Amino acid sequence: MGRYVIRRLLQALLTLGIVLFILHYLMALSVQIRGNPAILFFGGERTPDPAMLAQVERLYGLDNGCYDRPGDPCLVPFVERLQNYAAGDFGTTLNGNRDVAALLGIYIPNTLRLFLFSTVTLVVLAMVLGTWAARHRGRLVDHSVRGTTILIDSVPVFLILLAYVYMMAVPLTRWARGIWGTESFMGQVFRPSYNPDYPWTTIVIPGIILGTVGLATLTRLVRASQLENIGADFVRTAKAKGLGQMRITVVHVVRNSMIPIVTGIGYLFAFMLSGAVLTEGVMGIPGMGYMIFNAVQRQEINLVIVGLTISAIVVVVVSLVVDLLYAALDPRIRYE
Amino acid sequence: MVSTPQVVGDTLPGADLNAPLLEVEDLKVEFRVRGKRVPAVRSASFTLERGRTLAVVGESGSGKSVTSQAVMGILDSPPAYITGGEVRLQGVDLLKQNEETRRTVRGNHIAIVFQDALSALNPLWSVGFQIGELFRVHRGTGRAEAKKRAIELLDLVGIPDAKNRVGHYPHQFSGGMRQRVMIAMALALDPEVLIADEPTTALDVTVQAQIMRLLKSIQEERHMGLILITHDLGVVADVADDVAVMYAGEVVERAGIRDAFKRPAHPYSKALLRAIPRVDTLGQELEVIAGLPPNPASLPTGCPFHPRCKAAEDRCAEEAPPLAAVAEGHTSRCHFAMEVYRDER
Repeated sequence: MGRYVIRRLLQALLTLGIVLFILHYLMALSVQIRGNPAILFFGGERTPDPAMLAQVERLYGLDNGCYDRPGDPCLVPFVERLQNYAAGDFGTTLNGNRDVAALLGIYIPNTLRLFLFSTVTLVVLAMVLGTWAARHRGRLVDHSVRGTTILIDSVPVFLILLAYVYMMAVPLTRWARGIWGTESFMGQVFRPSYNPDYPWTTIVIPGIILGTVGLATLTRLVRASQLENIGADFVRTAKAKGLGQMRITVVHVVRNSMIPIVTGIGYLFAFMLSGAVLTEGVMGIPGMGYMIFNAVQRQEINLVIVGLTISAIVVVVVSLVVDLLYAALDPRIRYE
Repeated sequence: MVSTPQVVGDTLPGADLNAPLLEVEDLKVEFRVRGKRVPAVRSASFTLERGRTLAVVGESGSGKSVTSQAVMGILDSPPAYITGGEVRLQGVDLLKQNEETRRTVRGNHIAIVFQDALSALNPLWSVGFQIGELFRVHRGTGRAEAKKRAIELLDLVGIPDAKNRVGHYPHQFSGGMRQRVMIAMALALDPEVLIADEPTTALDVTVQAQIMRLLKSIQEERHMGLILITHDLGVVADVADDVAVMYAGEVVERAGIRDAFKRPAHPYSKALLRAIPRVDTLGQELEVIAGLPPNPASLPTGCPFHPRCKAAEDRCAEEAPPLAAVAEGHTSRCHFAMEVYRDER
C-alpha cells in the first residue's frame, strides 16, 4: 500500500511538472511570436520610451533575452516563476497592479464552495437514481430515470442558469423573505446573484445547477456498473447466505460498482471547471472561472498562467485522489 | 448499518422432526424470456434424510443447478419462476413461506457451496468479513465475536494459520483453499442441509479428492444431509448414499448408490456409466452417448431421451414414461425400466 501511494504521488508530481512546463512554453512562444505584452502597459498604441519599457519588462519578468528568440524554452524564467510560486509570490496584475495572491484568497474559496455543492448534488443524485434504475431494470422507473436525466443534461447549463436568474430567483426570494425575513438562510438562498456577506448561502443554488452537468452520464455509469454486479456470482452467494435486499445492495453491489463511478466523478470534476466559468459569470460569483475568463479577455498573461496552474493542480490532485480511492476500494489494487 | 440484527430460532416454525429432512416433489421451474416459456426443470423429485448424501447427476442443462437454486429460493425472477411442486424441509413446504421466513432458512437450515469460489466470493471483502457476516446478520453477533467464529470455521475446514488468513482477500487464496472458505461459510450457522453445486469442477484432481473428503467428513460429523450436484459419476461413487439422475429437467432414475452402479434401470444412466473410464476396461474405446442434450425450448415428444436411446421403440416417441419402481427404493422413468434393470435391454 505504501509503495502504491508513493508511486502515485511521484507520478502526480511528474505530471504536474510537465503540465506547468507546457503552459510556460506556450506562453513563451506567444510572447516570442506575438510580441511583447509589456507594451500593453502603455496602452498598446504608442511606442514607449525604451528605458521605461525595460523597467516594465523587468517588473513582469519579461526582461530575459530568451523572449526575443522564437522557440527558446526560456528555462531560466520558468525556474524563477516556480520559485516565486513556491514562496507564495504570484506577482501583480497588469491592470491596476493588484496583488494576485490576495485576489486568489477571494476567488479560490468561492470556487471551492461552488464545487462542493455541485459535486455533492451530482454524486447524490446520480447514486440514488442509478441504484434505483438498476434495481428496476427494464421497468417504468428505469426508463423514467433515463429520460429525465437525459432531458436535464441536454439543456445547456447556462440556459438553466438564465431561466433561474430571470424567471425564478426574484419571485422565490420575495416569497421566502415574506415568510422568513431578509437575513435568514431562506431569504438569501434564492438570490439571483452572489452576495459577499453570505458567501455560503448564495452559492448553494448555482452549485446545485452546476451539479446537473453530467448527471445523465454519471447516472448511466452507476446503473451499468451496478447491473454488472447484481448479476455477479457473489451476489447470488449473498442471497444464499440469507442477507436482506438492503444489505446485499449496500455491502455487495454498491461498493463493488464504485470503481467506474469514482473514475467518472473524477472526470466530471475536471469537466465542471468549464461549467464554473459560465456559472460564475451568470451568477456574478467572484471565483476562478470568472477570473480566468476575464484575464484571457484582458490579456493578463500572469493571471492566466496562475489560473491555469491552479486548475492543473486541481486536476492532478483529483486524479491522485481517484487513484488512492481505487486502492482503498479494491484490495486487488492495493496488493498489486 | 443496514441490517437489523435478528436472532432467529434454530427451529423452523411447524417443523416435524419425524418427517424426512428434505423432500422435493415434482418441482417445476420455467424461464420466461420475451414471452416464451422455457421449462428448465419439468419434474424434480427426491428425498434426503439426515446423515445421508444424495448425488444429483446430469449433463449441463439438465436442470440440476436450477433445482438447487429453487430449493435455496435464490432463483432470479425474472426470468425464472417456480410453477409447481413442493420443497418440504422437515415437513414444511418452503414454497408457501413468506420471503422473510425463506431468508432465515437460507444459511440457518439450508446452505450451498457454489462451483467457482473465485467468482462466488466478493473480491472486495476479506474472507473473515464474508464468513462473519452470517453471524452478524442472523445472530446479531458483534464484529470481534464474528471474527473469532470465522477463525474457528477456517480452522475447521483445514486452512492453515487461520488466525492470519482471516483478514486475507479471496484472490490471495489458492483454488482449493478458496473452496474451503466457501465450505466454511456454508457451515457457519450449522445448517441441516448442505448443497454442494459441482464443488470440485474448477479444481485440479488432487485437490478435488481433498475437498470431497472434507465435505464427507464434515457431513458425517455433523450428521447433515448433503446434496452433491455433479456431472461426474466417478466423483460420487465413494461418497454418495443415493443417486438421482436428471435428464432434460426430469429426475429419470433414483436409487441407492450400489444399485445405481450395479443395476441401472434407465438407459441414460446405463450409458453414463459406460462413459466412465475404468481400470477393467483399460485400452478399450469409451462409449459415448450419441447426439446432444435436447434444447429445453423444443423438447422431443414422448420420452425426451428417445432420440439418443439405444433401447427406444416407436412408443417412446409418443408417450412420456412415468416414474415407476423397479425395486425397493429404486425408481426409473422408462417404459422398459424392468428390462433395463434386469439387463435385458
